[in-house]
Amino acid sequence: MSGFNEDNKASHAQLSSQFFGDLLDSIIVDVASECHRIARLGLDRNLEEEEEELRLSAQARVRVADPSNSGESNSKYVVDIFGQTHPPVANEIFDCMNCGRSIMAGRFAPHLEKCMGKGRKARLKVTRSSTAVQNRYSQGSPVSTYSPYSNSTNTSRLSNGTSGVAGEEYSNGTFQEP
Amino acid sequence: MRASVNRPPTPDVGDTQEKQPTLEEIINIKFIESGEKERLMELLRERLIECGWKDEMKALCRAFVKKKGRNNVTVDDLVHLITPKGRASIPDSIKAELLQRIRTFLVSAAL
Repeated sequence: MSGFNEDNKASHAQLSSQFFGDLLDSIIVDVASECHRIARLGLDRNLEEEEEELRLSAQARVRVADPSNSGESNSKYVVDIFGQTHPPVANEIFDCMNCGRSIMAGRFAPHLEKCMGKGRKARLKVTRSSTAVQNRYSQGSPVSTYSPYSNSTNTSRLSNGTSGVAGEEYSNGTFQEP
Repeated sequence: MRASVNRPPTPDVGDTQEKQPTLEEIINIKFIESGEKERLMELLRERLIECGWKDEMKALCRAFVKKKGRNNVTVDDLVHLITPKGRASIPDSIKAELLQRIRTFLVSAAL
């Protein structure tokens, strides 16, 4: 009886292992089939996009390292990553919204500096009538100390300055209006 | 009498297949009919996902696909790729649990 039991157990163990192996094989085939499907349908996280990007970046690196593209000969016509060339100074022309003149895009920033008041000459420009009146009388008059504030773009003085300026402007305006 | 009349009957192909089914086959049938095979499959699938085994196998497949090119891969390739590693990397606890259940069933089925 005991011998029979032991044989039984041994054969049971073997049968179990075998059966477990079958289950495992089925699951392995399922996993392989799933991965195959994902691969063939291209559902996997942009496998190819990465390769494409790697290739493009390698190409770009080659182009950058290539001496014939850099510096002297082609400084005016450097080619960007899309293969386009741009002139060194942007040459589109449009109208300045402050003074109304036709300005070239590449010269717009320096133009704005002069036009809007960074420079000395800008402060003399006529933008608002009250400030204009004030400015005309500001040279040599006792209120000249206040004139810098009226056209100032200094933001640190804004909180006190604007209200002060407004008050001063109006007071000067009323003061100066005969 | 012509010799052809006494010719022995052609052996029937069906005869060779009527042998006793092997123990394996009997067990398999019992497992399937009772639904235990289905349950065990689901249990094993669940355990293998939980422990990350499936993710490991998928990673192996992905690496292989990347190397070979995604349109050059067959299911067979992947099966042959995964099987040795897959069988070897089953956690012992999972294997023990499944074997225990299988043995219990064998005993209960009086096999």
